[in-house]
Amino acid sequence: MSQKTLDARGKSCPMPIVALAKEARTLSKGQELVVLSDDEAFPNDVRAWCSKTGNHLLSVDKAEDHYRAQIRKEA
Amino acid sequence: MSSHSADPSAQIAELQKQVADLQARLARVEATPSAIPGLPLATSGTAQAGSGQVERVSMVVFSGTLDHAIAAFTIATAAAASGMEVEMFFTFWGFAALRDPKKSGQGKTLIGKMFSWMLPRGTRKLPLSQWNMGGAGAKMIRSIMQGRKVASVEELMAAAADLGVVINACEMSMGLMGIGQDELIDYPTLKVCGAATFIERASAGKVTLFI
Repeated sequence: MSQKTLDARGKSCPMPIVALAKEARTLSKGQELVVLSDDEAFPNDVRAWCSKTGNHLLSVDKAEDHYRAQIRKEA
Repeated sequence: MSSHSADPSAQIAELQKQVADLQARLARVEATPSAIPGLPLATSGTAQAGSGQVERVSMVVFSGTLDHAIAAFTIATAAAASGMEVEMFFTFWGFAALRDPKKSGQGKTLIGKMFSWMLPRGTRKLPLSQWNMGGAGAKMIRSIMQGRKVASVEELMAAAADLGVVINACEMSMGLMGIGQDELIDYPTLKVCGAATFIERASAGKVTLFI
């Protein structure tokens, strides 16, 4: 499956999650999405969002000045 | 980036440990479903769980201040983005945020005229609940939020509308304060209702807040 990237840098809580929810609607099951965010709440929030919505969080990494989360759409 | 956070990799390791611990505990609970009667084991989408509860946040927005409105719409958009239904019930001072500055009601009583005069006309006129300093505090917080790229209450309301957050306007408050529907903002799901609607929506939902 192809992988999309959502650049949510420059957005603060709750907007990275709002943008992620919107983007996730366009994905089909099994498709992966990379989300970039420089919001300090993002690592915990993306974990919480995946847990709440039943999607799979593959990884969260810290890049130089932002976080990078990889998600697989399950629900 | 704020300076208060510890080393992110240490935080991630700690969280991963917590997740593993919780998964182990969940597995134990699932292995003995009879231990907790009625506990819903599946939590999928907006489906009704075994207890009859719906994935819904019901929120009373009573306060007519900028800080309360930001809190209310931040939680509302986060909940809607997390797949929950969200119903906001605006009452009393909360109506300030629903007033459209471009609209004015007709045929008001004296009390209605007084409320029209005293109640802030829309989100741009909302004061801060603390440190308002005659409106300087509200301006200051808006400028700080803009600097930190935090969404304004107007942007949050637009996101709420986009995510399908429902706004209910309390008919009783409108009557008391002499506010007509023709004075309220254009919002896709704005409905006029009473306390019974709130009770019906809130009692079947999982989260209820009073702001």
